[in-house]
Amino acid sequence: MKRNRIIAAIATAGLFFSACGGSGMGAQSGEETGGRSATADGIKDGGTLYVLTFQEGASNLDPQRVYTGAELGAYGSTYARTLTSYVPAAGKEGAGVVPDMATDLGTASEDLKTWSFTLRDGVTWEDGSDVTCGDIAYGISRTFAAEVTAGEGPMYATTYLDIAEGDSDFGSAYPGPWLATAEQQALFDAAVACDGTTITFHLKVPVADFAYTVSLLAFGPVPQAQDTADQYALKPFSNGPFKIESYEAGKEMVMVRNENWNPDSDPVRKPHVDKIIWQYGVDEAVIDERMLADSGDDQNAIVYGGIQPENLQTVFGDDSLKDRRTDGFDGFVSYTMFNNETVNCIEVRQAIWLGLDREALRTAAGGPFTGEFAKSFVAPLLATDYEAATLVDGLNEDGTPNVEAATAALDKAKTACPELHARATGEGLRFDHPDSASWQKNIAIWIDSLKAVGVNIIDNPIEPSKYYATINGDRGDLMRSGWAADWANASTVIPELFGAGGGFNYTNNEKDPNFPAFDEKVQLAKSETDRAKQASLWKELNQVIMDNAWAIPGSATKSQNLVGSNVRLAYQWMPFGWYNLGAIGLAG
Amino acid sequence: MTQPLLSVRDLHVNFGTGEGDVQAVRGVSFDIGRGETLAIVGESGSGKSVTASAIMRLNFGADVRVSGSALFEGQDILAMSEEEVRLKRGSDIAMIFQDPLTALNPFYTVGNQIAEAYAIHHHGTSKKELRDLVLDSISKVGIPEPLKRINQYPHEFSGGMRQRIVIAMALINRPKLLIADEPTTALDVTVQAQILELISAMQEEHGSAVILITHDLGVVAEVTKRVLVMYAGRLVEVASVEDVFSSPTHPYTRGLLNSVRSLDSERHSHLEPIPGTPPSLIDLPSGCPFHSRCLYAASLNGRCSTEVPELKAVGNSFSACHLPTAELLSLVKAAQ
Amino acid sequence: MTNTNEAVRYMFYFVARRTFFAVVLLFVVSVFTFWIFSALPADPAALTCGKNCRPEVIEANRVRLGYDKPFIEQYGSYMKGIFAGRTYGEDESGIHCSAPSLGYSYDRHECVSSLVAKTLPVTVSIAVGAFVLWMFFGIALGTLAALRRGKWPDHLATVFSVVGISFPSFFLGLLSVLIFVIWTNILPFPHYVGISENPMKWFTALILPWFVLALLSASTYIRLTRNGILEVMNEEFVRLGIAKGLPRKKLIVKYVLRAALTPIATIAGIDLAFLLGGAIVTESVFNLPGLGKLTIAAVVNSDLPILVATTLVSAVFIVIANAFVDIMYGFLDPRVRSK
Repeated sequence: MKRNRIIAAIATAGLFFSACGGSGMGAQSGEETGGRSATADGIKDGGTLYVLTFQEGASNLDPQRVYTGAELGAYGSTYARTLTSYVPAAGKEGAGVVPDMATDLGTASEDLKTWSFTLRDGVTWEDGSDVTCGDIAYGISRTFAAEVTAGEGPMYATTYLDIAEGDSDFGSAYPGPWLATAEQQALFDAAVACDGTTITFHLKVPVADFAYTVSLLAFGPVPQAQDTADQYALKPFSNGPFKIESYEAGKEMVMVRNENWNPDSDPVRKPHVDKIIWQYGVDEAVIDERMLADSGDDQNAIVYGGIQPENLQTVFGDDSLKDRRTDGFDGFVSYTMFNNETVNCIEVRQAIWLGLDREALRTAAGGPFTGEFAKSFVAPLLATDYEAATLVDGLNEDGTPNVEAATAALDKAKTACPELHARATGEGLRFDHPDSASWQKNIAIWIDSLKAVGVNIIDNPIEPSKYYATINGDRGDLMRSGWAADWANASTVIPELFGAGGGFNYTNNEKDPNFPAFDEKVQLAKSETDRAKQASLWKELNQVIMDNAWAIPGSATKSQNLVGSNVRLAYQWMPFGWYNLGAIGLAG
Repeated sequence: MTQPLLSVRDLHVNFGTGEGDVQAVRGVSFDIGRGETLAIVGESGSGKSVTASAIMRLNFGADVRVSGSALFEGQDILAMSEEEVRLKRGSDIAMIFQDPLTALNPFYTVGNQIAEAYAIHHHGTSKKELRDLVLDSISKVGIPEPLKRINQYPHEFSGGMRQRIVIAMALINRPKLLIADEPTTALDVTVQAQILELISAMQEEHGSAVILITHDLGVVAEVTKRVLVMYAGRLVEVASVEDVFSSPTHPYTRGLLNSVRSLDSERHSHLEPIPGTPPSLIDLPSGCPFHSRCLYAASLNGRCSTEVPELKAVGNSFSACHLPTAELLSLVKAAQ
Repeated sequence: MTNTNEAVRYMFYFVARRTFFAVVLLFVVSVFTFWIFSALPADPAALTCGKNCRPEVIEANRVRLGYDKPFIEQYGSYMKGIFAGRTYGEDESGIHCSAPSLGYSYDRHECVSSLVAKTLPVTVSIAVGAFVLWMFFGIALGTLAALRRGKWPDHLATVFSVVGISFPSFFLGLLSVLIFVIWTNILPFPHYVGISENPMKWFTALILPWFVLALLSASTYIRLTRNGILEVMNEEFVRLGIAKGLPRKKLIVKYVLRAALTPIATIAGIDLAFLLGGAIVTESVFNLPGLGKLTIAAVVNSDLPILVATTLVSAVFIVIANAFVDIMYGFLDPRVRSK
């Protein structure tokens, strides 16, 4: 999932925090689930819920282009229904998938390459017309239109659907609905076939958890008649309990109840409020003060964007706020990739891992509230698939560098891979990172802590907007990154980040002799239909990555939130790391 | 005995500054009769302009202290209320300033400014009447094409023309006393004479008394009868214009004359400027303010540096010098 | 009278000349702005692409948006768009922005001109209100301070100046929100509503930003007015005015204020123009969706089309204000006219 802006926010937040100086005393980060605000205690239907955010607007309202965890949950629970959805519940239960517009979780062929779903009766658009199979197919086809959706959303449609490769911008023979000729359109129509209320997907690879895939808004419907290409992002058509009355970036979005939403057709959503008003661009410091003051309409407010670091001690040091605050993982794991083709020696990779001052990096970001040292590339939120791995021998629990162990590993590298050893200790290894304020600080910590081990780092900052496009072509020896699962299954983590052809695999680990065995197991896990068996495979694979040190896990990041005193059912929705917006109600 | 038009007695003017008190004028006294012309001469910083301003109560600032008296037709200007002074200004007593460019308000036409000077003191004058008066006054000061000129702004006039306008403005109310503060200093030499002539002519016509403030002895020679020489805030010599030129009694006056003459014609082989510089008005020397520059101070056994000399009669003049009268007279003779 | 005709003709030439120079300047500024942004390292084509972007998509977008064309051609299409409108993208998914088209923001999914049209009234509301307040308080307090030098108005003016100079607008804005909105609930949280929509809400949303901006700028104008008046008071023509026997009130208004405020009017014109370009900090603190906030959001998101447009709009304001102020000065100060 994409989360550029929140990462930027955390980066700035870290700056403020360290500027404020050692506030290490007092409240500490720990799991908190929101107390009374997460329950339905005293809830009454009606009222206006406010969402305060420093962001200037939605990252994107276009279902094919939303790719921000919290927003996927927020829009899916309000205006964008999909074939399947997550269980509207707190905790681990929320990670389960249930039928939504579909009558069940789909039927797969033996080879897991054909999936079909049947649409429920009574699912309608905001103008009262039926949501058809064709609307869903059309919505999905938009993903292929590089000139409109531009890879902003998840690309599973292009990687999964059985459409030949070709010379469109995404490498498919199908260029999306706007540019397609009749023959090209036929390619898509064959891959996503409609027969009355039954939609059938033909895939080129076996996918065991396709029921999760179609829960992504990118697999949601769009009525072709309403499509305004890029400007569909200003006013998407609703098929959920809320519709967008007005949206103006920099100002506000007003969501009102959709009178044409039929509750009988929707087993998932139970709306309580009449109206949801997003107030954009509110200063972060002002938001915190308003939430702490909890007066007037702010008692009916929630926040998108978290609490400013300098206020965390106030919020978590005050027990009277217990029923209004949450503190938990947001689903992200930050990590540093090795280019395993150039850094082709595990001793060097382990030496760097052991010698890195991870504690200093976390402190620079803002300390324990920003997250915990990751022990898996799978976030703890993916409870089914998460298991703390055994990390490299000698790694300090508290994140401080183990110079002794690191030096020993580097010594071994001298004989194991003299060439790389000479380069690492001589001219140095190139570190690619986005050129941001927080990374200017981080790179100094990298350079300093590894110098103590004897490894030199060459700083290579890259213009942030070009970062991934750049390392897609020209990769350094080390590259920073971050990832969260696309749905509650590590199939969107391990294969994406480390598998063959993974959409986000920049590690060149296919050059490692241990790779073929690893990837074989990845393919096995992907097509495993027994969820428990699949989970244990992911855990094993995660351990393999750690054992090979193809990347260094950074932090499993956390976020903290505070809601107004009237807010109810504001629970942390596990798949999205934020609230189930459409379900929130107000008391009194 | 007829009352003098203006009688100044023991005038002191002090300015408080960050560095200390500036004693700009220290005990100046003089009279001027109706229609009389009087010149106050001195270098810059001698207090002559401050004296002139004090007569119109034009010394401003947070820390100005004026003492003494200035009886105008028997009324003490220095003791009047602000409103009483205002009514005198421009009507009974008018002033001409040194720089006619900066003295005229750049935002208004000259006609407007002259008319205003009249209207302030003559409420209810009709526009037409005012216009005629203005046209008349500026044609009298010798400005051609008055009809066109009254609608022009000060910057559209030459320096001499501007000064004529200032004069027209000053005289439009037929003042009893005209104070001309360096009226020709900022002007071309050729224009200077014309302006002086104009002032004399106007004076004759209106019967005003004139106090001419100048550092230029040449100017003095042309228009005045009586001369007051100031140095470091005090009067050092009071004499008729003939006596000042032919037989200056005070060593300072003599030095001043010499420097002017030597500057006037280069045929003079020896320049005789007064050696030294004028004293600081903040930190005045004791005794005679001129003693540090005076050639004769040494001969008086230090009396000059301890005792302030009062004005005393020397021949037809009055001189503030410790040298015995006889000695001063013999020096005058020697110089002749 | 011939003289008046001449003055009118003079003014006409003066205005015509200033206008001509303003147009030339605008042209130069537009070329320069366009060039600066095209020379930035940020790749506008890459910015249109998401995280799953492929180099092919970036290249295709580059061609689609015309960023592959030489600078002159890009500038030409941009200028043409201002007068004739422009379509971004070629196929059916292309978006048409009618004239005056200032570009298309793929981040906001809107024509930049409509974004400017939405945000400008907000900024104008803020700027004009604040301007009126600060000019009033600045000149009134500055005049009082000069005339009652060393007395309480002078001290009050000093306090104002210290506050205005030493407190950043961010701090002052936040403080006023805390005091009037969050702690005492005297005012609702600023939430901009158009004046035609609801004048009362418009007013309550803007009153705090007006006062904060006014407080900040008034301090400058208090100082300028006070110093200007004190300086003019020393002018010879003021002395002559007194020597003429002008009553004090008339002297202050006709002589002193006229001369002291003329240069201030020109500074005020430029200040207002700068403010019309967007009060970035104030708009952010008070959450007002004006041009400043649009700009700062565009900076954060590297949204080049918006940045080019807001820079141009600000430049236009400043150039126009400069020309206007010059022409005004010509009317106010007869000495300028004839030069």
